[in-house]
Amino acid sequence: MVASFFVASLILPLVAGVAALLLLRTKAGHMLTQLVFALGGLSGVVGATLFYASDGASTVVFHTALFSLVVGTLSVFFLGIISVGVLLTSLYALEGLRRYKSVYSLPWLAVASAFFIFGMQATVMASSVAGFLVAWELMSVAAYFLVIADGTEESLHAGFSFFIMAHIGFASLVAGFLLLSAGNPFAEWPEVALAAKTMTPATLSVAFSLLFIGFGSKAGLAPLHQWLPMAHPQAPSHASALLSGVMLKVALFGFIQSLFLFPSVPLSWGVVVLVVGLVSAFFGVLHAVVESDMKRVLAWSSIENMGLIFSGVGAAMILRTLPYEAGPVLASSIAIFVALHIINHFLFKSGLFMAAGVIVSEVHSRDMDIMGGLAQKWPIFSGVFLALALAAAALPPFGTFFGEWMYLQSLALALVGLPLPLSVVAGLVLAAVALVSGLAIVAFVKMFSSVFLGRARNEHAEHVGMMPMSLMWPPMVCAILSIVAGVLAFPFFSSHFMDGASIMQDVVIVQGASMNAWILWALIAGLAIIALLLARFLRVPVRITDTWDCGQPLTSRMEYTATGFSAPFRFFFRAFLVSRKEMIVTPISSENPWIANRRLEWSITSTWERLFYRPVGQALLRFAEYARKFQSGVVQMYLLFVVIALVGAFIFAL
Amino acid sequence: MTVTILILQFFLVLAAAPATVGIVRKIKARFQNRRGARITLPYWSLLSLLRKEMTITRHSSWVFRIVPFVVFGSALALAALIPSFAVGILAASMSNIFLVGAVAALGSAFLVFGGMDTGSTFGNMGSSREMTIASLIEPAVYVSLASLATLSGSWSLDGIALFFAASKWVEIILPASLTLVALVFVLLAENARYPVDNPATHLELTMVHEAMVLEYSGPYLAMLEYASWIKLTAMLMLVMNLVAPWGILTSPFALGATLIALVAFAIKLGVGAFVIAFIESTIVKMRFYRMQEYMSLALIVALGGLAISLVSIAV
Repeated sequence: MVASFFVASLILPLVAGVAALLLLRTKAGHMLTQLVFALGGLSGVVGATLFYASDGASTVVFHTALFSLVVGTLSVFFLGIISVGVLLTSLYALEGLRRYKSVYSLPWLAVASAFFIFGMQATVMASSVAGFLVAWELMSVAAYFLVIADGTEESLHAGFSFFIMAHIGFASLVAGFLLLSAGNPFAEWPEVALAAKTMTPATLSVAFSLLFIGFGSKAGLAPLHQWLPMAHPQAPSHASALLSGVMLKVALFGFIQSLFLFPSVPLSWGVVVLVVGLVSAFFGVLHAVVESDMKRVLAWSSIENMGLIFSGVGAAMILRTLPYEAGPVLASSIAIFVALHIINHFLFKSGLFMAAGVIVSEVHSRDMDIMGGLAQKWPIFSGVFLALALAAAALPPFGTFFGEWMYLQSLALALVGLPLPLSVVAGLVLAAVALVSGLAIVAFVKMFSSVFLGRARNEHAEHVGMMPMSLMWPPMVCAILSIVAGVLAFPFFSSHFMDGASIMQDVVIVQGASMNAWILWALIAGLAIIALLLARFLRVPVRITDTWDCGQPLTSRMEYTATGFSAPFRFFFRAFLVSRKEMIVTPISSENPWIANRRLEWSITSTWERLFYRPVGQALLRFAEYARKFQSGVVQMYLLFVVIALVGAFIFAL
Repeated sequence: MTVTILILQFFLVLAAAPATVGIVRKIKARFQNRRGARITLPYWSLLSLLRKEMTITRHSSWVFRIVPFVVFGSALALAALIPSFAVGILAASMSNIFLVGAVAALGSAFLVFGGMDTGSTFGNMGSSREMTIASLIEPAVYVSLASLATLSGSWSLDGIALFFAASKWVEIILPASLTLVALVFVLLAENARYPVDNPATHLELTMVHEAMVLEYSGPYLAMLEYASWIKLTAMLMLVMNLVAPWGILTSPFALGATLIALVAFAIKLGVGAFVIAFIESTIVKMRFYRMQEYMSLALIVALGGLAISLVSIAV
């Protein structure tokens, strides 16, 4: 019963892809395709609901001798997220994509989406190494086609770096899994875990590093994150929502799942995951603050949130290995944060990408510096966007806040629960998470203010059309779900919802810190009533005037842009953001040097590019120089190489 | 009974907030050899603002109009949550340190929206600066509150204040001293006081908070100003109740103790206002682009305080 719903959610995207090709570029074809996608998502949602409503035992979805698909408690959680994502984004694409039918080839885009969705679901359901890797690769390649869908130079460049990074990651996944399964690619997960039991700690460490690199590069962890802010914004907005909101979670799923393959998790691995997570979160949020391309801000913020999630996973790994009483309790409360944040990040990020897609299609630019004033044009839509932005900034009363509260509270409890040197570490992590969450507020306050508030800064932003309802409601559903998550998710999770999946096991309400969302809601509702009463009381005459301008008429050019808003951060964090500013002066008159054409050019390059990518690239080129010396072009030399290789192979085999 | 005390505390902070600002201004004037306005002037300013006509710029949207309510609501929540007059009157979960921090951050975020929704460079600049200060002070806020919580073993401000009131002053003030210094840093930054902001000017080079509310008038301005005064009073009383935890009302709530607590409240408010006025009269405002030094210093002091707290509970 449950299995058939999952099979349907797996098959329907492919059906949609075929339908798209058969019906070609007709309106009906597009509608039908997207509706079939949505149907697939819906059946996945139903399947996940039924799964949790029943006893929640592992179920075989599909079985052949070569590979099979199985769902368990952990994978259904991720399948549910994939399905909700597919459902919302394909309903959004009904209208959202049709606006771009001259830009994209809609049938081929649908085929790429079909394989992408299929790949994500199969990755989560795969029960063996080979199945997992094939599905993973399918997902990556399909994602590449989504990134280059509009065929522009920028997209091809972004797609290229995505492709390279995806395959570096894939290579290290293959190596890691083969190492762990003792070279058997068709091993099922329990067999891999069994094989791993007999290995030396050194082998296991190598395998762990390879897997962490593989999954981390897909999840956008520093330093392998450079591709993400390039690639995700280039895809069509509904696909960006899936890439950022859902695909990154699949990488996280892969990582969590492979953690269970190891017989034990040493302390040092947890430390590595924690540190890499925090560093990614910091750099992600810092770039989100200073970036002014709308979709790129969202992509950077994905790096931040994945970094926070991975830091939580790392902290939970560390706490589980510690021989203290408080360890496992705190580890499971951090695991609740991880689960909550997976849901919340998915909700607000998908919603924001879809909302950003609408804005971009109306304003014809992704540059926030030329937007503004949209709140007057679209009051309801701006309310939806405000809700999503506040959710992204982790402010109450949205679900994200409760997740991060859980994390901060757990870290603060670690101060008391752990002995001295470790508690200082917990304090430092707390400070780092607080800094990241503070900067996240800046990034999203900046985004909302520069897009919606003040006056429009260009023609398109000034004369936007009516907001079609069909584009508004998918982000609105995300915003509402985000509030619902704030109210319901915590009680839901604390009542042993996630039992069975080991990392989310033994969920308890943190000792000594009751965190009831309902009380906050009562408080907020009470204050709202007070405010409304005051509003009734304050009936004074209102005059609509111009902004105070000291007698000199204001224009929209005088407003702060998104770039201007974040100027203090570019200054304060200039050590991390290698920003280059140059005034280019071209003289016009030869007599008077003051008459000149002045142009300001500035750019922000990544610290990682300077410290990591360039040195690695140069080392690679130098190595290639040496390697070229062997390539003499003489046939005899190559024959000699072949003989040496054969002899070597024989010696090795004997 | 606890509800009565809660309501009493709430309205006490609301009633005292204009006076706090009045006292600070009066003392600052005396430092400058001026007579200064009467302490009651802020009350009259509020009342006259409430009666005045509002002008609202045509370049603003609905966001501009809800900002005063959210900011005022956030300040009211702080007045209710922060133990300024009595302890032990609220469920522990309600004044959780992270919750209080987030409610304050929500208020700051909306204040920034208000400044951005005017189409004026003044408001925009104030907003950008306010956002910088509010976000960069965040680590110091959470670290210093967490180290107080570590010391007292309670995760609510209420529990922390109760612990300070119940402990021997000498024993508690030494381990908490550095954290309290960090809290003063936080207090000055969060409330737009010297050396972070100059609350007395309307010059574009110096101002943060005043720039953001420049476009507001009438009752909306009254709400925003009142909200900032309430926030200042509540946070000041929190610091005062930790530095000098005497006379704060604890259960059982007897009439005599309530009267003593009222007197203690007034004295602490006066002393706190004097300290703020003293700080503002003796130091200069920092240049905005040196703010990261202030924020780093606050964080380092807070981390030092945390280290002391951790050592002192381990010993």
